[in-house]
Amino acid sequence: MHKVAQVELVVGLEVHVELATRSKMFSRAPNPAGRGVGVPAHDPAAPRKDRESCKDTSAGTAVPPNTLIDPTVLGLPGALPVMNRAAVEMSMMVGMALGCSIAPLSRWDRKSYFYPDLPKAYQISQYQLPLCFDGAVELGAGDGTLPARRIGIIRAHLEEDAGKLLHEAPGGGRIDHSIVDWNRAGTPLLEIVTQPDFRNADEVVEFAQMLRNICRFLGASEGVMQKGHMRFEPNINCVLTLDDGHTVRTPIVEVKNLNSFKSLRGAIEHERREQPGRWLEDGLTLGPGTKTTRGWDDAAGEGRTFPQRGKEDAHDYRYFPDPDLAPVVVDEAWRERIRAAIPELPAIRRQRYIGEYGLSGKEAAVLVENREVCLYYESTIEACIERGMDRSGAGRRAANMILQSGAKRANERAAGAEPVLVSDLGIRPEQIAGIIRLREDGAITSNTADELFGLLCSPHESEPADADPGEVAARRGLIVVRDDAAVSRWCEQAIAEQPQAAADVRAGKSQAIGRLVGAAMKASAGKGEAGAIRERLMVMLK
Amino acid sequence: MANEPLSLAETRKVATLSRLALTDAQLEEHRHHLGAILNHVRQLQALDLAGVEPMTSPVQSVNRLAEDVPGPTLSNEQLMAMAPHGAAEPPFIRVPKVIGGAESS
Repeated sequence: MHKVAQVELVVGLEVHVELATRSKMFSRAPNPAGRGVGVPAHDPAAPRKDRESCKDTSAGTAVPPNTLIDPTVLGLPGALPVMNRAAVEMSMMVGMALGCSIAPLSRWDRKSYFYPDLPKAYQISQYQLPLCFDGAVELGAGDGTLPARRIGIIRAHLEEDAGKLLHEAPGGGRIDHSIVDWNRAGTPLLEIVTQPDFRNADEVVEFAQMLRNICRFLGASEGVMQKGHMRFEPNINCVLTLDDGHTVRTPIVEVKNLNSFKSLRGAIEHERREQPGRWLEDGLTLGPGTKTTRGWDDAAGEGRTFPQRGKEDAHDYRYFPDPDLAPVVVDEAWRERIRAAIPELPAIRRQRYIGEYGLSGKEAAVLVENREVCLYYESTIEACIERGMDRSGAGRRAANMILQSGAKRANERAAGAEPVLVSDLGIRPEQIAGIIRLREDGAITSNTADELFGLLCSPHESEPADADPGEVAARRGLIVVRDDAAVSRWCEQAIAEQPQAAADVRAGKSQAIGRLVGAAMKASAGKGEAGAIRERLMVMLK
Repeated sequence: MANEPLSLAETRKVATLSRLALTDAQLEEHRHHLGAILNHVRQLQALDLAGVEPMTSPVQSVNRLAEDVPGPTLSNEQLMAMAPHGAAEPPFIRVPKVIGGAESS
């Protein structure tokens, strides 16, 4: 009986990204994953009322079931597919951002598929000639917590998504059959396949988050995990080093349909723990016919993978060229036009924030996590510069305001439901810049800056949408009072209210001054500055 | 090689992949039909195709792309009206119970 001395994890990843085109891949029925279809994830232009009116239905989709359909989606006789230009171009962009080459010629294949969530009995995909191939990305370049690591990209190809099969009645009742919703059928999917270059779960999750950021910046996907915009399928095995020095490779396990970073990490860590024991039990090693498919159950404790029944002849998909679709030929002019349209990518922005503004890796990572927030942050910096601040200071202070006052309000408003972005709070970048300017001038305290931020977050309720922070602060009496007489009056009042604390300070217990500062600040109704009050108290109690 | 039938095992596999439940008599009949079809197509193998590019599509055109503008849809009522007898379960379509992962990959 051997003992396992060491376990090295080997992971390759398949990712399905639902592209945010307005219409479907091969017909012009609206795409549920598109911007502005159903509940927009974070569209600041959309009035709140509209967002609520098209909220959830029992099917778990944003629009009523089986309404985003047309003859092509349903596979009706005579319906012919026509490829969506935007889906091709979004895929080219993502491929380029992943360092891929773009195929000069790619084409469409039919993959036999016998489940009713795709009614025409095949899925259109790219098998032989994918649109993007042979790329690589660098991990760990960001905050220095992970060593830099190169992840090869085998291919990124386009295919169509299937609809949704439901095995319970809407609302959860038991049914002895299944029901299908075809809204998602035909949504463009970009399938990205990496080399087995990952060696731990951290790397896989970092890659997945990087990919989501890239897709968001390119406008290629909304990247909302809860809506299934990204689904992960890691292929996991281990290299076991035995106590006698021999190595053994365990069979590959593919975990299907993970739709959160947490479950992706959980599934990989679970397999790393389980595979050595499985090998000790069954002795199976990597080889033809040993790959298995597992599902993920996150209900129990840390979660676990469980075996899924392999589909019969699962790999006999009988691909053949789709005669209804013309090949896609990408010439240099088209390729370069797309390349030129790619904006500065999140990883590069993150580095710039660290270098130019002195942000920590973590702060910078949060700011680039979402395209809307990132652009909002940059607008705030520009507005600060317009108000006479230097770029570096503006970058630092805008980050503080957004990551503290902003994040706090966003969390409050989300209250555990769908996440709310700072950029959707209602306060405009110019207003944040105005607050920062007031604070820089010493006209308001840091507490007041936060209070002003809150007041301007709910336009129409507390202040008009275009309210000027300086005017609001003045009208509400939030401007710092530097009047010596007033400061003395607040301090005297505090000493009178807290004679014991005053006596303690006089006796040399300087930490007791905190209570007096608090009392004086209260007496000032927020107009005093803690530093000035503390100084005055020290003088008075000497 | 004239019209050699498919083996029974191959015929069974093709039937399984096509989700067809065939009786033994039907399998016997179809293995002859399939053999005849394959034999007909097999004639192509006699041709010298060296230097001929594989045809990716029966049409010569490439890049038949549509602009990404949403168009008309069918309503849920139209779908229900089209559904085979007993399959309409508004707003869904009733299908046989699907066991296991049917999600496309």
